[in-house]
Amino acid sequence: MNQLLQFLVRQRGFILFVILELFSLWAIFTYNDYQHTIYFNTNNSIAANILGKIESVKTYHQLLDVNEELSKENARLHNELLQLKNSKVSGGDLPYYASREVANQFQMTAAKIIVQSTQGSQNYLTIDKGTSDGMHPGMAVVSSKGIVGKIISCSEHLSLVISVLNTINSVSAKIKKNGELGFIKWGGWQPEVVDMMDVSKYKKVAKGDTIVTSDFNSVFPPNVPIGVVAKLGLKEDGNFHDIKVLLFTKFNTLRYVYVIKNKLIGQQIKLEESIPKSE
Amino acid sequence: MNAKGNIKLVFSFLLALLIQVFLLRDMGIGGMAFLFIYTYVVIKAPLDINKSLLVILAFFAGWLVDWFYDTHGLHAFALVLIAFFRSFILNVLTPANGYDDRSKINLKEMTWLWYLPYVGSMLLIHHSVLFFLEASDWSLFGLSLLKIFFSTLLGLVVFVLLELFAKD
Repeated sequence: MNQLLQFLVRQRGFILFVILELFSLWAIFTYNDYQHTIYFNTNNSIAANILGKIESVKTYHQLLDVNEELSKENARLHNELLQLKNSKVSGGDLPYYASREVANQFQMTAAKIIVQSTQGSQNYLTIDKGTSDGMHPGMAVVSSKGIVGKIISCSEHLSLVISVLNTINSVSAKIKKNGELGFIKWGGWQPEVVDMMDVSKYKKVAKGDTIVTSDFNSVFPPNVPIGVVAKLGLKEDGNFHDIKVLLFTKFNTLRYVYVIKNKLIGQQIKLEESIPKSE
Repeated sequence: MNAKGNIKLVFSFLLALLIQVFLLRDMGIGGMAFLFIYTYVVIKAPLDINKSLLVILAFFAGWLVDWFYDTHGLHAFALVLIAFFRSFILNVLTPANGYDDRSKINLKEMTWLWYLPYVGSMLLIHHSVLFFLEASDWSLFGLSLLKIFFSTLLGLVVFVLLELFAKD
């Protein structure tokens, strides 16, 4: 017994080392999205506060850019409004009428980014709107230029967003010109570029084509801009295009985002669940 | 190590941590080379420091960085690891005339041939563990290797520069 105690005392550095390492490992691997948000809101509120202050200083220095972006967006919205008014008069090919619920299906809420990373392999953002502002996990997050990510967990006043710049996040996408489907996925570095996968080499793609979100997407509304094709090649297996997409959203200077609420998502999920499954 | 030196050391450690979480957090050169200046806390700790104390110090420094990086345990793990293996590296790299009580870890006393391998191996171990754990995905293996290589190189340059501009 005495010897055992002596041994423990002699090896206390090593034992301490093992305990602390095990604790860290446990912390790394048990850390899921829910804990992520909780941890961030309670234990980490000091860090969140300080980072938020720094972010507000950065925002101040970027007011000019932000203003410019807002005015551009205003202009674009005016244009769209005009187009919409026009199209209503001229009419489409088929007499299509959207019910009021479907026409107003998507609702946007502006939010400010408190914390974000672009340098990791798995990047997340924290925004300043939570359940009390009507946020739910699964909602789409976009910027004034293009897609940003999806909410994965919410607390009362904050939400955690999984960024497109995350190797475990992929988004269904299509080529705007001809509607060819695929999905986009981040390669793990360069916060400006994502890969578009699953586009067969027999499909027509050209440099400069615009990539938008597809219609078969329960998170994003259809036709949200993603980016343009910047580089075109062939995948190693020879069957698919190797497409590098330059993102419209500039993550490094991103300060404000819009959260899109899909009011009919509950109905859509319910309907899709009722598809009979073959056994 | 006198009291004045100790206070100075504590301040430089705090400064290293502050620079890490506020300035270097979103910085990287070409998405490849990242600077982890907070390893200064372990690399420059006095030679005669108690091993258990160093391990605990490393854990709290790492956890603080984790707070701000929102990584939860990652940096703590890597820093505690190099804090523990420091004594082995020091043993392997014993200078020609051995360590004496007043030895400090700096370029002037220890010469290039000691300082570069010491800092290099510490950074290499730290970065390897950090990037592989962070990627947590073998498909990113090559990318992680590149990040480790360039980050270690950048760290070495910065630690040598710090030594060249240090006063004492």
